[in-house]
Order: sequence, then C-alpha cells, then structure tokens
Amino acid sequence: MPDTSRANWADDEEFDDPTVLPQQQVISNPDGTKTIITYRFNDANKKIKTTRKIRTTVVKEHVNPRVAERKEWPKFGAEKGHVRGPDLSTTSVGENIIFRPSSNWKSSNKEENKEEDSLRDQLKDKKVACRICKGDHFTARCPFKDTLPPLDDVGASGGGGGGDGGNGAEDVGGLGMTKGSYVAPHLRGKKGAGETMGGGFKDRDDLATLRVTNVSEFAEENDLRDMFERFGRVTRVFLAKDRETGRAKGFAFISFADRGDAQRACEKMEGFGYGHLILRVEFAKKSA
Amino acid sequence: MRPILLQGHERSLTQIKYNRDGDLLFSTAKDHVVCAWYSVNGERLGTYNGHQGALWTVDIDPTSTLLATGAADNTIKIWNVQTGKSLKTWDFPTAVKRVEFSEDGTLLLAVTEQRMGHLGTVVVFPIIVDVNAAQADAPLFTITFRESKATVAAWSYLNKYIITGHEDGTVSQYDGKDGELIQDIQAHEIGGQITDIQMAPDRTYFVTASKDKSAKIMDVDNLKILKTFVTDTPLNTAALTPKKDFVILGGGQEARDVTTTSQRQGKFEARFYHKIFEDEIGRVRGHFGPLNTIAVHPQGTGYASGAEDGYVRVHHFDKPYFDFSYEVERMKA
Repeated sequence: MPDTSRANWADDEEFDDPTVLPQQQVISNPDGTKTIITYRFNDANKKIKTTRKIRTTVVKEHVNPRVAERKEWPKFGAEKGHVRGPDLSTTSVGENIIFRPSSNWKSSNKEENKEEDSLRDQLKDKKVACRICKGDHFTARCPFKDTLPPLDDVGASGGGGGGDGGNGAEDVGGLGMTKGSYVAPHLRGKKGAGETMGGGFKDRDDLATLRVTNVSEFAEENDLRDMFERFGRVTRVFLAKDRETGRAKGFAFISFADRGDAQRACEKMEGFGYGHLILRVEFAKKSA
Repeated sequence: MRPILLQGHERSLTQIKYNRDGDLLFSTAKDHVVCAWYSVNGERLGTYNGHQGALWTVDIDPTSTLLATGAADNTIKIWNVQTGKSLKTWDFPTAVKRVEFSEDGTLLLAVTEQRMGHLGTVVVFPIIVDVNAAQADAPLFTITFRESKATVAAWSYLNKYIITGHEDGTVSQYDGKDGELIQDIQAHEIGGQITDIQMAPDRTYFVTASKDKSAKIMDVDNLKILKTFVTDTPLNTAALTPKKDFVILGGGQEARDVTTTSQRQGKFEARFYHKIFEDEIGRVRGHFGPLNTIAVHPQGTGYASGAEDGYVRVHHFDKPYFDFSYEVERMKA
C-alpha cells in the first residue's frame, strides 16, 4: 500500500509556486523614509505589488491642560454610558459653505439683484393679454374665466358654442375644448397644445447636432464643451449619465449654432482620443 | 468651511455659550434640557436634566465649574458642569430670561420677567465657585423696573456696572455694587426691543441687537453709541469676534411669520459686519428659521449659531476669513 500522506514531490516548496505571495519587504531609506513593499491578490486573482513610501513625522501640540482634562470627562445625562466620539444621531456635518468676506460684498450682491431686476424689466414690456377676454391680465385672473370660453375657440366653433351662455360654460369645463368631448393629443389639429410643445423641442435639435459615442465614463459636460467649442459656438451639450452612479453612459449630443461648424467638428473629432477611448462622432439622426 | 450640525434639541434654541477656554459649548432650547458639547467635533458631552419649563438662558463660570440656567419654570439652577447634577435652585415668581456670571465668577445676575402683577427685576446672587459649597439663598440686591422691563443684562469690567437692555429700546447702566441707577439712554428706536447684549472680551464695550433692525456698539462707561450696524431684518442676537474686527448679527423674520414667507425672503443668515467700517462683508446661510442666538469662540476661531429650527451650527473659520482685511488695515500692518 503506497503512503498517501507523503507530499507529492511536485508540491515541493522550493519550486516557485504562483499561489504563494512573496514576503513583505521593509527598506529603510537614507533620507529617513521607509519603503514598504507588499504583495496581494486582487479580485481577478492577479498578483498586485504595492510599494508605499512612508515618512514618519512627530507633531507636537500644546493643549491647555484644563481642556485636556475635560476631554476625559465621562458622559452624563442623556449621553450617560455612551462611548467617546460624536454620535451620528446628534451630530452631523453640514454642507460645505464657502464664506469669503469681502469689502464690496454689498455691491456685488446688488449686481445679482440687478440681473433679476433687468429680467423683470424685460417682462414688464411684455403685454399680458387674457386669452378669454383680451384684457391686460393673466387668463387665470380673468373675471370671466368660469363663464366664457376663450375668444379664439368661440370663433372656431362658430355658432355652436357662442350661442348661449350655458353651453359655453360647459365647454370650458371640458378641458377647454370647444368640441365638448376629449380629443387625444395626436388627433388634435396643428394648433393643439401637445403639438406645439413637441415642435419647439425638435426645432432645437435640428441639423447641427452631433452624436458622440464611445465617450469615457469619467467624462464631464464641461470637458466636452471645451473640446467642441474650438469649432464654433456650442449651444447645448448633453451627456447621458447614469442616474444612480452619476457616471457618463458613453454617449453625448453636442449642438452647434452653425451647421458648418458642426460639419467641421464632426470631421476633426471623429477618431479623436479622449480619456482612454477613441471618440466616434456623427450627425445625430432625427428621432422618429 | 463645513459646519457641524448639532441636533440635540427638539425645539427652538434660546441661547448658546462657549466656556472661556472655548472647548465646551452649552445650548439651551425651549425643550427642557441643557446640552453640553465639545466644540471641536460636535460630540455631546451630556445633558443637564431637571428643569420643568422652557429654558431661556445659560451661562458658565470662567473656570468651567458651575453652570447657571434660567427657565420658564420660574427657577434658576446651578449645575455641576462635570457631572450634570443640580446643585442649587432659586425660585422666582416669574420666568428667568437671562443669567450671566460676572467676570470673576463671584456674582450672578438674573433678569426676571414682568408678568402677573410682578415687575421685571434684575437680581444679583453671590456665588462660590466650588461644587461642594452651599450657595447663598438670598440675593445681594434686586433692581426693580417700574417703567419698561429689562430683557437682557450684562456685567461690565471689574463688576463695576450692570448694563441692562429694555423692551422699549433703552439701555441703562446700574452700579454693580448696589444696583443704583446711574443713567439710561434711548439707544434704539422706541419700542425696538433689545434682544441681546454681548460684552467685548475686555468688557469695556458691548454690542446690542434690537428688533428695530439695527445693532449698536456702546461704551460701558458713558453709554456712548460708538458704531451702528443697520440691517433689513429684526435682530435677535449680536456677537463680537475676537482676533478679527467683525460683528456677527443674527435675526430674521418673526417666528410666527416664517410659514408665510419663503426661506429666501426669511433672511435666516448670519451677517458679518466690519466692526470699524460698519460695512456688511458677508453672510453665512444654512438655517431655515430665524437665528435666535450666536456665540463666538473666545479665541475667535469659530462661531456657533442657534435658530428657531432647533439646530445649532458650529462653524470653524477657514483661511479666507482670517486673510480678509481692508486696504487700510493692510497698510497699517
């Protein structure tokens, strides 16, 4: 009967076994630092060598003895028996606040207000016209909003709605539709609310938009903007990001103000190396 | 700077105080406990339990041995800072709105409320700064206010004067030995209740905060108004910063109006003013209720603010704060 407990000669430790890690090495450098080399396996079962250079410095801090004594006080009251260190239920760290005192704080703050004011001024010139009675107030404030249908609709529906007051009120109640019954958005005429909204959105997307793919997941919108702004005015940069991780998904849309610029950018940036990846740039296809 | 948020209270803060070394922070709120915190990391050291009503005020003696609190249960309590045990209780006919130890810790003044036929008073107790000593039962003397009640009071240098701030906006100076009235002046607008008085580190001047939307720096000796800081909101508190010549003001919409205004409008920010030039130099936001109390670290390295929202925010100033100075200040240096 052969002796099975005897180690196989092939398992002899003198051979270089790939599953065994070399010993940690500590080297003292002449400049007072220490170099520590350690080995470990990573998740992919690959050997990793880590070299750390460490300098030890002694920092002396003078603490008020009274303060030091109070630090050792046992806790009491509601905190009685609790261990040292801040408790998350009572202590938390807030958002970082940037506080820079400045002698012209007031004037800089006023400028901010000025911007707001100028916006208000712009809006002031806009004439507000009520859609129901054409008065100079918002439709929502119209005194007739519960009793009259909007003026345009009255014209469109002809004699049908405008004839008697009772019918008009009913029309307004039915989602503002003059026909009385609900009309699905895609069945509405050109003037339907849904159609105009969609139209406005598509206008922006027009022809000067590039689709950039194979973007590094660490990309930032600003980096992309910087890269593409060389070719002309960029009106919009959209970088698709994962909602949970916040990392880029790998594609982006860049809209240029001018199609010529977009054309140039498309040619130049196709195959451009960004991050560790090669960008692919093409004109965005119109979404269906 | 990243503020540390302290959530030890369930109701609005009424006063916070640093001890003289600045390592401990004490906070009182309208719930019935006093909290003690380490100011450096916001760790809670403990609570002082025993009051039956809302707490209005807290102060710590200069050696961090005794803590005094005044509450709406008509009492002042003296506590052992280290153990949280109550050592002495004084009863009053009305609520206690403010307590303060004198510079040397041997006297304690207390402002009591005017209510139910009782006139507002300031009472002064002798204090023995020792946890084992029996404190006196009777006050040394009492100042009674026949006209407008006092809301706040503070000791001057060497316990020479007691400075009181009143509901009608006047500031009075009393003799610190016997409570004789020396003078009073209408420092703030009539009816602009004085909500806070905080002494400078050397107690030769002080800053007042008032509901009339202004804060003033006044001289302790002659009550001369040295500086005026005008804001756009009623003020609840004002503090002087050592090391830098700043004043921190806190206030905001009245608590009862908070729900009807937006946070932006509420002006719930700590406002920094330059003490000498009276200019506003910056604001620190963060609270979502009016600021009720601000305390500055005695070494000027940070400040803490307590608000109606029940939070204490402890700020440690960073470099830009210490670097900031006016052109003329730099020229002088």
